[in-house]
Amino acid sequence: MFFPDADVMPELDFTPLLHGQFLDWLAAGVRLSLTLTVLALVLALPLATGVALARLAPSAPFAPLRWLATFFIEAVRNVPLLAHMLFWYFAVPELLPDGLKARLYAGNVEAAAALAALVVYTAAYMAEDIRSGLRSVPAGQWEASRALGLGFIAALRWVVLPQALRATVPPLISQTLNLWKNTSIATVVGAAELMYQAQRVESASFRGFETFALATATYLGVSLLITALGALYQHRFPARPAAH
Amino acid sequence: MTLTVTRRALFVIATSAAMMGLAHADQLDDIRKKGELVVGVLGTDEPNSFVDPKTREIVGYEVDLAKAVAQKLGVKLKLKQLAVAARIPELQQGHVDLLAASLTHNKEREAVIDFSLTTFVTGQKVLVKKDSGITALNQLAGKKVVTVKGGTQEPNVRKAVPSVEVVTFDTGPQAFQALQQGKGVGFVNDEVSLLDQFAKLGPAAAQYEILPANLSVEPLALGLRKGETKLKAQVDGALRELEANGTAAQLFNKWYGPTTRLKFQTRSFKIDSDQVEG
Repeated sequence: MFFPDADVMPELDFTPLLHGQFLDWLAAGVRLSLTLTVLALVLALPLATGVALARLAPSAPFAPLRWLATFFIEAVRNVPLLAHMLFWYFAVPELLPDGLKARLYAGNVEAAAALAALVVYTAAYMAEDIRSGLRSVPAGQWEASRALGLGFIAALRWVVLPQALRATVPPLISQTLNLWKNTSIATVVGAAELMYQAQRVESASFRGFETFALATATYLGVSLLITALGALYQHRFPARPAAH
Repeated sequence: MTLTVTRRALFVIATSAAMMGLAHADQLDDIRKKGELVVGVLGTDEPNSFVDPKTREIVGYEVDLAKAVAQKLGVKLKLKQLAVAARIPELQQGHVDLLAASLTHNKEREAVIDFSLTTFVTGQKVLVKKDSGITALNQLAGKKVVTVKGGTQEPNVRKAVPSVEVVTFDTGPQAFQALQQGKGVGFVNDEVSLLDQFAKLGPAAAQYEILPANLSVEPLALGLRKGETKLKAQVDGALRELEANGTAAQLFNKWYGPTTRLKFQTRSFKIDSDQVEG
């Protein structure tokens, strides 16, 4: 039989979870999940921009840079995030010199490894979104700016990026949404984010349904908030096709 | 393993509506009807249940107990590998009929599931690296220890050393890996699991030691869904027979005895009671 007996199932009761230590644990989990999201976003954005630009750099002197960027994106995106987490936690720190390693291990190495995995993973996806945003600006815009005497950087800064931004922000918001949900994978390396704490509460309270319902509601609530921000941006700054 | 958790969470939510008001027949009848006893095991906790590297089958002390129960019921045995934290929820949701998964029998858990006769008694201890300089439990204060998610290890070590920091992993071997890399100063687990991992270290074992103090005494038992009295009677009956005809002692020797890595000289318990102390 698939379903538990009705008389064996305890009544749904959220009250034990909504005060005292269980609530503290869950709140600490939400805090770490949010912190991981914000920090990973702040660190992934510049990395992603750099990688996208490297992929778009003129091939004449920069071919190796383009190969490197392409390799980074393909290598990262084609490996599951779970593997990234285990790699950054169990493998990478072991390569560090002993002194540095000891310092890292004395601190919160779990959260640090999770953050590294999330930054690299998110940046690879964001780089592709930024690249397609830049490519959505017609080549004529590049050519016109170069004809006016602007260099690569200046053309990017004053002509292409302002136009590309509107096309890029919506997919970046969607990547932020993925990033928020992806923080849950950090539980495998012992980072005490929301999923980790929910499991801890479940083991201590035996209220698995209620605990995961609360966690789900939290993930959903924050996700909807991020989606709403995206919708608001698109409403306020709709992408406009660039003039040819 | 995380997927298991997520999947479980989603499953619980998706079927919550269907759970209400659903009564069903006796579990023992169901098991006999389908001709199969589904037993949840860890598969990562030698020698209770682990994957034999040669045959790639899950074997162990608890697997042999489960075989005896299936034989008694006259049905086939089907093993299902579970994460430590998933044991009780999987049993409650009816995905397994029985748990043989290094499961501690304690009063808190009696509120949600039933237990068979106690099948093993172990203490919980802490394995440390010698160079950490830690020789007693109280020196763990403010330090980080690693252990398995969802077991009694975390609450027990927090009770013994309130200021200890605990980081948990899905399996024992993962937590042990973290200890070996120095990501914590101690590894908390059932003594038998620690002794096994300790023995597996080979020459490197000299760098480690198990602190003598017991965090707790853990009676292990098979876990059953609450209120399945007919099934419990059969399970306990099978276990009593093993004890009476000497098979239980043989199984202990096979997995824990002097010729094994663990080298237990004597068996300090008998399979004869399903009562535990509060």
